[in-house]
Amino acid sequence: MTDFPTPHTVKQQLQACRSKEETFKALVTLSKALPRLSGEEKTEDNKIKGCESAVWLIVEEDAGRRYFRADSDAKLMRGVLVAVISLVTGKTQQAIQEKDLKAELAELNLSSYLTSSRSNGVLAILQALQA
Amino acid sequence: MAFDSYTLRNQFPILQQTAYGYPLAYLDNAATTQKPLFVLDAIQDYYRSFNANVHRGAHFLSDRATNHFEQARERLAHFINAPKNSHVIWSKGATEAINMVAYGLEHLLQKDDEILITSLEHHANLVPWQQLAFRTGARLRVLPLTSNGEWENEYQKYFTDRTRIFAATQVSNAIGVSTPLKTMIAEAQKYHAFTLVDGAQAVAHYPVDVQDIDCDFYVFSGHKMYGPTGIGVLYGKSQALEVLIPYQTGGEMVRHVAYQATEFNLLPYRLEAGTPHIEGAIGLAAACEFLTQQDRPALLAWEQKLANHVYTRLIKEGGIELYSPEKNTTLVSLSVPNIHTIDLNAYLDSKGVAVRAGSHCAHPLMAQLGVSGTLRASFACYNTLEEADQFCDVLLEAIEILGDD
Ligand SMILES: Cc1ncc(COP(=O)(O)O)c(C=O)c1O
Repeated sequence: MTDFPTPHTVKQQLQACRSKEETFKALVTLSKALPRLSGEEKTEDNKIKGCESAVWLIVEEDAGRRYFRADSDAKLMRGVLVAVISLVTGKTQQAIQEKDLKAELAELNLSSYLTSSRSNGVLAILQALQA
Repeated sequence: MAFDSYTLRNQFPILQQTAYGYPLAYLDNAATTQKPLFVLDAIQDYYRSFNANVHRGAHFLSDRATNHFEQARERLAHFINAPKNSHVIWSKGATEAINMVAYGLEHLLQKDDEILITSLEHHANLVPWQQLAFRTGARLRVLPLTSNGEWENEYQKYFTDRTRIFAATQVSNAIGVSTPLKTMIAEAQKYHAFTLVDGAQAVAHYPVDVQDIDCDFYVFSGHKMYGPTGIGVLYGKSQALEVLIPYQTGGEMVRHVAYQATEFNLLPYRLEAGTPHIEGAIGLAAACEFLTQQDRPALLAWEQKLANHVYTRLIKEGGIELYSPEKNTTLVSLSVPNIHTIDLNAYLDSKGVAVRAGSHCAHPLMAQLGVSGTLRASFACYNTLEEADQFCDVLLEAIEILGDD
């Protein structure tokens, strides 16, 4: 496993993609940075509804800052999770809520490959992050 | 070969487009097929020339609409070799037709009666029976079929004196196998069970003869056989249709209404409450005509050839699990260990290949196969060898990229 990337590296990697194929490759690379959840952590409660693949999200707070751990059974989704989590992890709830995450994801080239039902899943993830 | 998919394709305007700059390879035909000009024109013609409500107005247009609508019924009856037009009941599709039967037979079911289905069913031919069982105290039993569509040993023990209903698919939508329909029906008949066949995945490919199958009910959807959405058929033998309690009531299905009581109309109208889907019936009849005009054995041989081509190419690669049979099927159903089918689907889509990933509305079957879902490429008469190869090429590329751990 590689270190969890900063928003800056995520941006560099994804914005450099010139084709969908490259975006897929970049997401696969990013996915490797996601620490997987254990079986016990993948509970119904932690599951995000509305995703085509199974996605689990755990929110932890430390000294007023939020940290996120997540997993999915789909690799591309794990890549997307690394990208979105890099945008919000370690920030306060208020700072996270003030972000326009959809716009930031669009800047990362991510709206392009997401099919509409799949992006509904991503929208559900964004909602969960900002809750 | 008497038919040529490349020429036939010209009849399908929707296929002449690209997706994200790639040739669109539409291989999701088991979900729904595209519609030929012949069908599109028939629908347009109805609205342009003779739209009116049927069986009602004594006027020029209504007579024309009614004639076309009843001719459509006749064409459908002919298409499945039903003995009489009145055995063809219009429905929204296979799902509604099954529900019509599940509600219509409820009054004949008692606690501890048994409803038998197979392990290859689409949720449409499972949930209505399960819910019927819940409502009546009957038991839902499942006849195990292997993933080759064959009997498990001792299948006879699933048919008992309590078996009141036997419902089975003709062809599995998820893995493409045909079931041993006629032997199963014959077995169910020994116990005087009502028999229903889900023909949703059969009608586009195989000639259907309901008298030969000898089932009480046969159901299918128009949209999977080059016809419009929102229309389908419930065929039934007269005695079987007669015992169904109409699950919807209202206009059109009545003869005389008073506040105290209503006298229902005769078949087929008794089971068709409300203004019917006239355009749909006309479009579906046109789809039957379209199919009848083709060399159907050649169409089927071509579709099977495409599926077999993909199967043979992929089995050679190794590392791909194939759930559909090698031969006698028109689709390929597969999974790749450690790669989610949704990811494969996303990659294929990005290169213009339209397939389906998921459980195909068959959760119990997926559990039997030990997968959460499969990737399914399903063929129709207008598909080409190039599209079959495009699917294989892009799939192998996807495996290469997504398999990187
Ligand atoms: C085998 C089978 N049965 C039933 C259905 C349900 O058809 P519809 O949704 O058109 O009612 C389908 C459609 O996917 C099917 O494949």
